[in-house]
Amino acid sequence: MVSTIQNTDVKQKDAARAAVVAVTSRAVFDCGAGDGDDVCGVGVAFPLLQALQRVNERLLEENPAESLLFDVVLITTSSQQQQQSSRISSSTRHYGLEVSRFCFSSEEDFIESLLTNGVQLFLTTDRNEATQASQSGVLSALLDQQIAFSPPEQLRVMFCGDAIVQPDTGPTPVSRQVAQSFSTQLGEMRQRFGMFNSPLSIVLVTSRGGRESCGGALQKLRSRGVSVDEAYCLAGAPQGPIVSLLRPHFLLSEGFRNLEE
Amino acid sequence: MSDINPNDSAPADDGEEKDWAAAKAFFDNLKTKTPRPPKPRYAVTIAVSSRTLFNMMAERKIYEEEGLEKYVAHQVEHENEPLKPGPAFPFVKALMNVNSRLRELYPDSEELFDIVLMTNNHAQVGVRLINSINYYDLTIERFCMTGGKSPTGYLKAYMTNLYLSKDSEKVTEAIEEGIAAATMFMQETDKENELSNTQLRVAFDGDAVLFSDESEIIVKKHGLDTFFEHEKEFENKPLAQGPLKCFLESLGKLQRKFYAKNERMNCPIRTFLVTARSAASSGARVLKTLRSWGLEIDEALFLAGAPKGPLLQKIKPHIFFDDQMFHIDGAKELGTISAHVPYGIGQKYHKGKLIEQPAKKE
Repeated sequence: MVSTIQNTDVKQKDAARAAVVAVTSRAVFDCGAGDGDDVCGVGVAFPLLQALQRVNERLLEENPAESLLFDVVLITTSSQQQQQSSRISSSTRHYGLEVSRFCFSSEEDFIESLLTNGVQLFLTTDRNEATQASQSGVLSALLDQQIAFSPPEQLRVMFCGDAIVQPDTGPTPVSRQVAQSFSTQLGEMRQRFGMFNSPLSIVLVTSRGGRESCGGALQKLRSRGVSVDEAYCLAGAPQGPIVSLLRPHFLLSEGFRNLEE
Repeated sequence: MSDINPNDSAPADDGEEKDWAAAKAFFDNLKTKTPRPPKPRYAVTIAVSSRTLFNMMAERKIYEEEGLEKYVAHQVEHENEPLKPGPAFPFVKALMNVNSRLRELYPDSEELFDIVLMTNNHAQVGVRLINSINYYDLTIERFCMTGGKSPTGYLKAYMTNLYLSKDSEKVTEAIEEGIAAATMFMQETDKENELSNTQLRVAFDGDAVLFSDESEIIVKKHGLDTFFEHEKEFENKPLAQGPLKCFLESLGKLQRKFYAKNERMNCPIRTFLVTARSAASSGARVLKTLRSWGLEIDEALFLAGAPKGPLLQKIKPHIFFDDQMFHIDGAKELGTISAHVPYGIGQKYHKGKLIEQPAKKE
């Protein structure tokens, strides 16, 4: 059974305008095996949440009435996590994280939660969960251990011009529509800030093609209202060293396969 | 198995092979017959900044006077107007020519020059850069547009063999990380030399460029006489290597590929040593050092202190590397494309006098 609880410490976002991002609690907190009321330790996605929060803070600085904000939902995806619900909410409050809602679901019904909560991007460290979500039409990205080192001061979103940088999250690609609308929102958020000192950076990497591919992807994203900040064209050069330098918080490749066409 | 990048001892992993295979398939399927960029592990990778590849002096002025936003807006507004060539442009064209010759002789080899655009420009400015590269049909298929971040980490990730930039701070940082690098200058255009379009010609200073600055330290601290005595005494002891020794080495490896096919007389790469040393008193050590490294240089010119400018004018290199600004200025005045290597004791002196160092900013 799913329970969705609003976090009363945090101002709720405008559902029509906000970009709803769901992150699994397992990625954000390391609750360990212990029970009781101990505050959980931080997980790999903790800096990511801080970075999302920072974008919101800066957006509101620019315009206190801003409605295009990140609406962060913490979601549990197993009964085991579901049972840790009170530790999860108290840890969230302890760290002052800007989470608007908690969805305490299990492995059977988390997909339903994602859909009923209008989640536009689902972030998880579990490949199976990402695959399932994708197949149900929710844009997903797999978080890896590296993001623990991504800076909390700036949200870094990486678009992969070809799908190789991140392994496929499932045989059924997310519809272009979903991917495009999220990226358009990101692009709009990015436009609120100047070139310099932006809390959000949009990075494009193409790993296979040459300058024509990457150049084409740059133009295509621009036509969707996404102004890329950094672009790396690898044309077959090893990706590992580059991606580890880039420190993205998440990689979007699903549904973006058409960027190079 | 090539040893063009001997320092890269990590074996190729599966991921690397996969990345490479996918790119190979992509390029092989292209209709336009764009030559496929070489595998970085085997290539001689030359990273050029946007301001060395193209002349962006007017745009730079906008950046300095009106700020980043206006600069980017200007570039975007003019992005369909190709930029004019910059100081590294002739060098890049010469590298492309060598590649064509290599591809003819060794169609399956990955031992080629790989030219990478390494800029900290914003990706929106990148559109104009890509359009300009298209306009001149340059074979540059890899690039990094870092949007303001330092390129040094990326230089290593791309296995860069030589980095050219107009920003001496970035160049110094690269050298400190063990990457051959030099700061380029636009030569005074009214005395532009006509450069060969069939042969890449590269000129190097000796001390503090190919070799370490150990001998230069002796000159600066103890004078020329001590220097001559020292060099004679240690004639048979090889000098330590300088920042551009490995680049000369990679040029030599490519040259030998032409020799192997009987193309020595028609080799499209020629190297020159242009040194203030004199042949009689201090030249022997230099030649013996090169020999001990197994390196060849095509022409060694010992000036015994005479100005380098006029000689370089005759050589007409596509690029000339020197550690002393005094020589760079002399070369520039007579139309030679010069690149300053900010390494060694020469940086603390100007025309033989110790420069007063300002207190370092914390």
